[in-house]
Amino acid sequence: AVAVGYVRYRRGGPGRGLELRALRRARRQDIDDVGHKYYLELELGDVLDKDRTVNCTAEVLYHLGHKNTAPEVQFSVEGELRSTEEADEEFYNRIRSLEKELVAENIPDSHGNIPQELEPIHLLAWVASGYLIWQNSTENTHFHLAQIKHVKQVKRSDEDLQFDYVVLLHEMVSQEVIPWEVAVLWHPRRGLRVSRDRRQPGHTPG
Amino acid sequence: HQVLRVVPKSNEELQKVQELQHLEHLKLDFWLSPRGLGYPVDIHVPFPSLQPVKVHLEASGVSYSILIEDVQALVDEEQMEMLRSSRQLPLTTNTFNYEAYHTLSEIYDFMDMLVAENPNLVSKLEIGRSTENRPLYVLKFSTGGTNRPAIWIDTGIHSREWVTQASGVWFAKKIVEDHANNEGVASILETMDIFLEIVTNPDGFAYTQTTNRMWRKTRSKHSGSICVGVDPNRNWDAGFGEAGASANPCSETYHGPYANSEPEVKSIVDFVKSHGNIKAFVSIHSYSQLLLYPYGYTETPVPDQKELHEISTKAVAALSSLYGTKYTYGSIITTIYRASGGTIDWTYNQGIKYSFTFELRDTGRYGFLLPAKQIVPTAEETWLGLMVIMEHARDNMY
Repeated sequence: AVAVGYVRYRRGGPGRGLELRALRRARRQDIDDVGHKYYLELELGDVLDKDRTVNCTAEVLYHLGHKNTAPEVQFSVEGELRSTEEADEEFYNRIRSLEKELVAENIPDSHGNIPQELEPIHLLAWVASGYLIWQNSTENTHFHLAQIKHVKQVKRSDEDLQFDYVVLLHEMVSQEVIPWEVAVLWHPRRGLRVSRDRRQPGHTPG
Repeated sequence: HQVLRVVPKSNEELQKVQELQHLEHLKLDFWLSPRGLGYPVDIHVPFPSLQPVKVHLEASGVSYSILIEDVQALVDEEQMEMLRSSRQLPLTTNTFNYEAYHTLSEIYDFMDMLVAENPNLVSKLEIGRSTENRPLYVLKFSTGGTNRPAIWIDTGIHSREWVTQASGVWFAKKIVEDHANNEGVASILETMDIFLEIVTNPDGFAYTQTTNRMWRKTRSKHSGSICVGVDPNRNWDAGFGEAGASANPCSETYHGPYANSEPEVKSIVDFVKSHGNIKAFVSIHSYSQLLLYPYGYTETPVPDQKELHEISTKAVAALSSLYGTKYTYGSIITTIYRASGGTIDWTYNQGIKYSFTFELRDTGRYGFLLPAKQIVPTAEETWLGLMVIMEHARDNMY
């Protein structure tokens, strides 16, 4: 999951949602005084392009005793993913031309619906969640993006688009659903950058 | 109000109709404007203008027909139909919308309809009450006999896993349909009963609809903690309280103060023990696309590991055959994670050999918020997997 999250963060966009199609091979190496290194062979695909898969090899190193540092990931992707240049430009221009800043919540909604024009916003959150997953995973966690609770566009004077999200991350092992604030900058050619993030303080006991 | 239709057949007729457009005091509403000869002109005429319009047309010999005699009646009918079909009152299980998520009361109404439509096959049992005093209903499908060997299926024990309750509703209808057509599960019903608990955690389910879509646990309050709820899949008496569950009431995997503290769990325990003849037990969850057999609380394999693994292989193959959905399978502890106090660990230790857990679609893209249009495909493919398990139980009585 960490590897996929990292690749999604580096290669995803509002027009490309990368998911794991298959884990072909995995191997773990215990390196004395360093940590655990996983060698992975993955098949990835774009959720918007069902018929194509690419192969990916990745190495994930969890450092011993450094519970608060992100694992180190290296990867290479073999093959071409569908180009999103046109879709990215169109999304960029559409958002830039909005008079009022975009605001939305509950994506998907309780019934799993995502209005079509908000699909890129959802995919962008998915990319950002890849970053959060990479930064916050250990060998004993397994995160997924559960929902966008809230998203607000912040208009900028430079060329980037900025979206401030509150996302819900679902962690499989503990089954907790954790709210996380993440501010995202995106530009068609510069890609996505996370400008700040934090776990939302306060826990609702019920 | 009426809607009149005129088909002008001459320029004079066309002109007469066009004249009407300028008579604003008549407040006519042209649903189809005059276009040319031979094209219908549909005019919505308010009641006070009916006389003048008809006179105007008749006086010039323009023939017309009454397309809609009473607009209000149609509007009223449509209103009722909309209420009926969208949320409120499907009149039969044939008009029920299986492709949508439903409320608790809609599902309870569905159960009553199903029983009313099939009184010789289906009955509804109340096996207990939830913490908030909601009835815990189980549907029994039986063609007769006394205490026949039985199959148990439950959905919705974790309330946020909405595709499971929705699939449970579909399974109920499927059983009735197969029986009526004497195919599929009908042969199993010749010698076995099926028990189906669709909303195993109604308090949690209601809470996901009113307050927090991501609620998983029950809604019980214990030990003076401010936190609410116990994980009903950690509350069973199998490795209770051991590693793989949390002692923290605020945790999503809180096992509860003691085994069977939750009425949702205790009622099933009591039912299973007093029935005494359940041969297969399947508990359904989402998401991850997995088929699991015991144990979750220990790495020791179950004695029937080989057989359960073989059944799983076949069940997953059957499931995948429909839409290509990929499932992984194995014991809980090796496939998903260590979990103690789980349902099927307890049922297996009670002697119910064919104890399985499904984790339905998807693998994380939508997770708990699976789009409603995936409900029926998910239920259809899962059913094929369930059939393999049920047939195996029938053919391997113990």
